[in-house]
Amino acid sequence: MSEAILAIEQLEKSYGGIRAVAGTSFTVKRGSLTALIGPNGAGKTTLFDLVTGFVHPDRGAIHFEGRAIAGLPPHRIARLGLVRTFQLTRVFAAMTVMENMMLAPLGQPGESLLGLITPGGRSRRSEAALGERAMALLGHFNLQDKSADYAGTLSGGQRKLLELARALMASPRMVLLDEPMAGVNRVLGKRLLDYVEELRRTTDVTFLFVEHDMDVVMTRADHVVVMAEGAVIADGPPDAVRTDPRVIDAYLGEVAR
Amino acid sequence: MSVDFWLGVGVIAGIYGIFVLGLQINVGFTGLLNLGQAGFMSIGAYAMGMLVTDAGWSLWWAMPVAILVAVVAGILVGLPSLRLRSDYFAIATIAFAEIVRYTFQNADFAGGNQGIIGFDQEWRDVSDWLLDRFTRIGLGDETQLPLFLAIWITFFLCLIGLRLLQRSPWGRVLRAIREDEDAASALGKNVFAYKLQSLAIAAALAAIAGFFLSFNVTYLYPSEFDPTFTFFGYAVLILGGFASYGGVALGAVLLWSLMEGLRFLHLPLSTGQIGSLRFVLIGLILILASMLRPQGLLGRKAEMQLRQ
Amino acid sequence: MSLSKNDKRRGGDAPPFLSGGWRQLPPVAFLAIALLVIVLLLAVAVGPIAAGQATMTGLVSAGYFALGAVGLTLVYGVLRLVNFAHGDMLTFGTYVTLAFTSLGVPFWAAAALGMIVTALLAVMLDKVIWEPMRRARTSTLQLFLVAIGLAMVLRYSVQFFAGGQVRSVGLDTTSSVDIGPWHLGSLQFVVMLVGLATILITGAGLRYTRLGKEMRAVADNIALAEVAGIDTRRTIRITWAVAAGLAALAGILYATAIGSINPNFGFTILLSLFAAAVLGGIGNAYGALAGGIVIGLAQEWSTLFFNPRWKPAIGFAILILTLLLMPRGIFGRKKARS
Repeated sequence: MSEAILAIEQLEKSYGGIRAVAGTSFTVKRGSLTALIGPNGAGKTTLFDLVTGFVHPDRGAIHFEGRAIAGLPPHRIARLGLVRTFQLTRVFAAMTVMENMMLAPLGQPGESLLGLITPGGRSRRSEAALGERAMALLGHFNLQDKSADYAGTLSGGQRKLLELARALMASPRMVLLDEPMAGVNRVLGKRLLDYVEELRRTTDVTFLFVEHDMDVVMTRADHVVVMAEGAVIADGPPDAVRTDPRVIDAYLGEVAR
Repeated sequence: MSVDFWLGVGVIAGIYGIFVLGLQINVGFTGLLNLGQAGFMSIGAYAMGMLVTDAGWSLWWAMPVAILVAVVAGILVGLPSLRLRSDYFAIATIAFAEIVRYTFQNADFAGGNQGIIGFDQEWRDVSDWLLDRFTRIGLGDETQLPLFLAIWITFFLCLIGLRLLQRSPWGRVLRAIREDEDAASALGKNVFAYKLQSLAIAAALAAIAGFFLSFNVTYLYPSEFDPTFTFFGYAVLILGGFASYGGVALGAVLLWSLMEGLRFLHLPLSTGQIGSLRFVLIGLILILASMLRPQGLLGRKAEMQLRQ
Repeated sequence: MSLSKNDKRRGGDAPPFLSGGWRQLPPVAFLAIALLVIVLLLAVAVGPIAAGQATMTGLVSAGYFALGAVGLTLVYGVLRLVNFAHGDMLTFGTYVTLAFTSLGVPFWAAAALGMIVTALLAVMLDKVIWEPMRRARTSTLQLFLVAIGLAMVLRYSVQFFAGGQVRSVGLDTTSSVDIGPWHLGSLQFVVMLVGLATILITGAGLRYTRLGKEMRAVADNIALAEVAGIDTRRTIRITWAVAAGLAALAGILYATAIGSINPNFGFTILLSLFAAAVLGGIGNAYGALAGGIVIGLAQEWSTLFFNPRWKPAIGFAILILTLLLMPRGIFGRKKARS
């Protein structure tokens, strides 16, 4: 029985009178590939911001692996093993692809002044080992040749891949992906998803992703949560959600997509 | 334009160099608009001066402790102000620098406007001993040589240290913060702590620059360390380029040669007017460089553009 | 009209001397009452004569602090930056005025000319420096460095031509005026009247004229102002002109009240101007006016308890405390935390 790795209870967030998230509740099972879908403006990105600490909720609770995390600063949440990617990619444009990758792992001895001063070469060894891991990971996304290029010179799709690769470098327990397929070509996109599925099989990493491509959602996700106007309107396996009248209703006008 | 003249230029340029290394780590490498660097310089120098003259300490103990005092000041200033937006942070730092200057000017414990003298006796002893040695190789007349050497050796040691720091994972995090704080945060980096460390290091460097400045002038008085020093520092920074420690040396030497070189133009102006002209030039450099070549002489334009 | 709808929704924007619906009163009325309470407490502590005297002197300086701060805050909305060179606009305007008086022009005419010249300078600088930088979307760092550079060019150009020494304004500083049990130098009395009158006129102008509303809209949110159909380019230039003109006036008032100036005075009071603007909520013109009054009063009140040489420190202290505890200021809505 897989328990809930992320539990969201009655979350609320308003911006000057507009309720972006209005009493949302759902759970994400450990090791699952859960899709978060809904029309634009449904509150999905706000939800991500709330879960990762970039925004503080007005009301409600968020539990990650049993710990209450609502209101914690983003870096503390990331250190607990919850990482995210952004809807508009946020790679470090004026740094190289490899540097981007090397920034992700937690607990690097060389990242603290104390760790640098203490002798023993721990930092150097860590750098070497992480560098190898980074190259291997980049290889999965076909980015290994670009490792020395500035991330800002990558195409939009490549940046998405880099952001995902970077998130995975952090050896996370759960990854929140905000529209990971946007701008990525089909072939590479399929590779990305295959790799994600493989990761799920071999490790215990949980994925929660926002996606608009219904094909991807229906074929790959094992659980779907549907949001509209700040609240959850459906929550279940893809087939159940697909035929749910409320979901169809919410998407009216989006059906053409 | 004797050797002595150039040594004099070199001394000031070197002092600015060390001072601006601190600005560089803040501005060029962490994205912090520190306008209070002169305040840290002042605190470091005064701490040293007071430890020697009031508490009777040896200069060689007073200096490292004074550096620590400046570092503590940096942390105290940073704790409340680093969470502010960047232009408010800049205002907070300049308010800090002005408060420091004002306090030293008006409070009695720091000797007020009269300043402090006599703290540099031990340095002068070393300097004289060195000059004595230099006489044997025919350089005994260059009285500024020992200070010049001390400053530039210190500068290069600091430069090397900072370069190593920059290449380390720690430096990498700093650059990431300068790029995109939120993304760095999302990767688990405690942005606030790194900014604080950056400010503390800058304060330490400012203190060291302050020591040398006071040795050069041989006494400590408050207006030595006024905000215009920081503004001159920014002119050096912008000339040499952001994100380049080597550029700091270039910028410092260039700027000071320019400043001192004005003397030789034999303009029909009074000394006061030449002094004003210097400042106008600095202002123009700041404006033109920011508008036209913001990456500085040695900076990389590509990096700058990518960041925007 | 969409603009007046915005006005009504913006609650605490009403200037202190005009009553709106009671919903609009809170921060402003609270401030006025707080100030009155302080005056009463001081009267009890040090006697009504001393308290009243300090308050009157405070109202003198309130004038130039408020007018300097309102320019700073108006320009903030356009630059998205606190203009470091603003203090030196005060200096520039004052020295230009003095230059005219030395040519024999009567003082009030010279002052008007000084304001006009400064306004023209500001518009020119916007055209040549600020507008191109706005278009190129430069970083805060670059804007800041340009502002610092401009400050130095202004200040030291003045010093180049006029010399760095303290210079008297050349007006009659000996006669004084009696108001009840208190005295004020006649010049200072005039400064107080002119200052307060200009504050009222500025506040009214900003609230009631179409131009004033446009300026406030642009200062609040340029993008929205464009959408609402305002000619932002023209409004920005006018904002600079008004801000600079008021700055020049502030400088002239300062010089008249103190009796003497040197080229550094603008920079010296800049932090107090920042304090006033930040206290009032940056970007809020009424707030700046109120903030200036508070700073002016606070500085004079402090002399009842501390050595007068610490007066500027009060401005610093208020600035620091506001930034730390209440970065939005009393009336502000802008985000101040990163």
